[in-house]
Amino acid sequence: MLNNKKRKRSTAAIAAQRMALGGLPQQEEEEVLQSPLQMVVGSFVRDKIAMTGVILFSFIFLCCIFLPIFFPIDLYYQDVTQANVASGFGMLSVPSQLQGNVQDITVGSSFSVGLDKNGNVYEWGTFPNNKLKNIPSTSETGKLVQVSAGLDHVVAVNEDGQIFTWGNDRMGLATIPMELRSGGNNIKQILAGYQISLALTEEGRMYNWGSDYLLSITYPEGVQGNIEKFAASTNIVMVLTKDGEVVPLTNKPSAYTNIPEEIQGNVVDLALTDECAAAVTADGRVYTWGNNIKKGLNVPEDIQGQVVAVSGGRYHFTAVLKDGTMRGWGDNTHGQASAPSGVTVSSVESGYYANYAITQDGSVTSWGLKGYLMGTDDLGRDLFRRMLVGGRMTMTVGAIAVVISTIIGIVVGGISGYKGGKVDNLLMRLTEIVSSIPFLPFCIILSSILGNSISETQRIILIMCILGLLSWPGIARLVRGSVLAEREQEFVTAAKALGVKEFGIIFRHILPNIITVIIVNATLNFATCMLTESSLSFIGFGVTEPNATWGNMLTGAQNGQVIENYWWRWVFPALMLGICTISINCIGDGLRDAIDPKSKER
Amino acid sequence: MGKGRYLLKRLIYIVFVFFIISILMFWIYKSMPGDPVDIMLGSSKTTMKPDAYQLLYEKTRASLGLDKPLPIQYFAWMGNMLTGHFGYSTQYKQEVVNVIGAPMFNTVLLNLLTMFVVFVISIPLGIATAVRKNGAFDKSVQVLTIVGYSIPTFIIALLAIFLLAVKFPIFPISGVRTAGSTATGLAAIGDMLWHMALPVLVMSISGIGGITRYVRAAMIDVLRMDYIKTARAKGLREKTVIYVHAFRNALIPVVTVTTWWVVGLFGGSIVIESVFLWPGLGKMLIDGLLQRDFAVVLTMQMFYVVLSLAGNVIMDIAYTMVDPRVRLDG
Repeated sequence: MLNNKKRKRSTAAIAAQRMALGGLPQQEEEEVLQSPLQMVVGSFVRDKIAMTGVILFSFIFLCCIFLPIFFPIDLYYQDVTQANVASGFGMLSVPSQLQGNVQDITVGSSFSVGLDKNGNVYEWGTFPNNKLKNIPSTSETGKLVQVSAGLDHVVAVNEDGQIFTWGNDRMGLATIPMELRSGGNNIKQILAGYQISLALTEEGRMYNWGSDYLLSITYPEGVQGNIEKFAASTNIVMVLTKDGEVVPLTNKPSAYTNIPEEIQGNVVDLALTDECAAAVTADGRVYTWGNNIKKGLNVPEDIQGQVVAVSGGRYHFTAVLKDGTMRGWGDNTHGQASAPSGVTVSSVESGYYANYAITQDGSVTSWGLKGYLMGTDDLGRDLFRRMLVGGRMTMTVGAIAVVISTIIGIVVGGISGYKGGKVDNLLMRLTEIVSSIPFLPFCIILSSILGNSISETQRIILIMCILGLLSWPGIARLVRGSVLAEREQEFVTAAKALGVKEFGIIFRHILPNIITVIIVNATLNFATCMLTESSLSFIGFGVTEPNATWGNMLTGAQNGQVIENYWWRWVFPALMLGICTISINCIGDGLRDAIDPKSKER
Repeated sequence: MGKGRYLLKRLIYIVFVFFIISILMFWIYKSMPGDPVDIMLGSSKTTMKPDAYQLLYEKTRASLGLDKPLPIQYFAWMGNMLTGHFGYSTQYKQEVVNVIGAPMFNTVLLNLLTMFVVFVISIPLGIATAVRKNGAFDKSVQVLTIVGYSIPTFIIALLAIFLLAVKFPIFPISGVRTAGSTATGLAAIGDMLWHMALPVLVMSISGIGGITRYVRAAMIDVLRMDYIKTARAKGLREKTVIYVHAFRNALIPVVTVTTWWVVGLFGGSIVIESVFLWPGLGKMLIDGLLQRDFAVVLTMQMFYVVLSLAGNVIMDIAYTMVDPRVRLDG
């Protein structure tokens, strides 16, 4: 009888070998000798729906496991300027009319504005504010000569020095100072910043309007009327005086105000990022100061002495060298610091995460952030990257919970079914008690009470354990039933007669015979655990921010406004989660049909 | 063993299960953060002299029974819970028992309506698909039901909000009645039903998916039986064969599943209530947890436990009713 058992196994092994080697269709006379496993695999492979499920799920699974290596993510990263950007890659698609005919070009938060030599305005990218599309007509503005884009507004100036603005009009952004509105000024430089607009006249006088709450601009004595150039970030405005000195327009000391003494009086160009400043001196050297979190201070050594101009984005700088080539440094997440080589340019315009360079023949070269595949959320985080790590998290939690529940289920069900009698009774009562516990409310309460005082990682482990510890009764009952049926088989009697220990009989002899049933159940359980985890995270009691899961990515999408205006924030996670659970359920159904030929007739 | 004895045995057993789960709940109760005495005394810790406070603390502790050994504390707590003394809600500033009426009504109403919709649709649908097995109708329903029960309810909720409340504003997004509405009588009921439409629709979709599949599977099993052939051979009308002979027998497995589904439905409505801001028990539970109002949390937990056990009892009774063969000696 033991031989019988052994033979059974060896045919299974051969079958597995055959499957691996190519899965040739079996000949008719061999059909009779097919092992159970062979039959199961064979009929599963023929099930089109189940195979589609396998392919879809494997694809998503592999994406979530391997793509984060190529798209790394900083979970704590946030950027308000990139909040709620729609999906798409249109941020750098410069209109063809501008090529060879460009007057001015400027980078806004997630859009760009260009001006051609005839004074026509072009806008492209995704617009954070619909008012941005209300470009004033040419009859109203005359010929525009300079333009600047900010977070969600644009400032432009015409030939007569008249200033116009459109886009966001909160915080007094629309109240242009009277003397600038009427024209007749010689406007040298304009800049639209983070809820603020700045303008500088040829006479060296600066104007600012809008909200200066973040910047708190104060003009030190003797600066007004003596300004050559200015630069602004979300933290500070700094000016370059006509004497070549750098002066911060603030009275609060910060990393920005640690200006190197040796450059004062010798500066020709100035640029700011959100963490540091860079100044070019007359001898072509770049001096940087400030914080170095995104490596904005790491100026490449080989360009020292050759720099003529510098331009700053949100966390990067781009410098133009004497020979017209460019070099970038600083944050390079979106390739914004990788300036193209071999292009000779006349000027470069950097802002946020993108750069435009106007070449000597008037055409425009661009590099940096093109857009986001799936858009961004309300904190400016790239949804695609969060989807990948979120998927990995959802699947990991689901998988580990299933492993925990399957192990408990097999042990409890196996012992209960094999031993019978009092042990069986006791274990089954325990099973019933656990299955009477109201699942979702209990998960919520446990994760809320126990998860109160522990770290993020511990919390995730806690969720896995709660899910695992509460979802084993189903599998335990199933294993018990199967063991009850198997334990009267002759091979068990034979094993007993040979003196195999009880645990050996249960787990080495009976278990391999019921493993298919367990696999099916574990597959379906995996879908359930993923669903439960998502539901828990969705209502805020599962995996919490900043860790991403598909459930908590949907948490922010609970109100009508987000659902209506920012469709990408809920469609993509919902779609992924839906596809995954449907696929797993299809796989589970296919497996069940394959194992139980009777159920196929249904 | 007769039916009566079987039921009695089950009831005794369920009381036992309740006892075990209540110990678990007591453990949760004890492990909740915060010292109940400190919470009760409130600000007097800062205003009183330390030794006087210590005295008052001990006195309050004794009056709350917290100085007694754990088993006695457990029985006192259990007694309170069973007699409706659920404790004082710090959030609502009154006894919990006084504030759970309205939410309980809302939740029960929502779930009963959902159950009604699900049964009315899924049972005929399941029978119809089983009778026309493998036809085009059956195949398409099969695909729809697998989609229905696979997709998480909150995703269906988002879709429903997008389609029926945002794109085509037919139903309100959330709430239980129109703000500032003074309607009474029928108009008020109509308003409430109008607000309930979306949550009920969403909860029904996943329920219909699951139950239809179960009814279909059970019916197919039964329709293969010899007694169905006999009934047909006798010349009974097809309707009688299907609805009387087959369906009664198919009910047995369906009853088990439905009981678990109903218990799960109440649990699952926590998510739906939080999406649609439906002022029911689930929302109360979540609010209670967020506000650290543990008296409310424990009461809600108690409700779900009792509901789950009641589900067990109802399942047993339903078993004995639909299946004349129940003679289990478990």
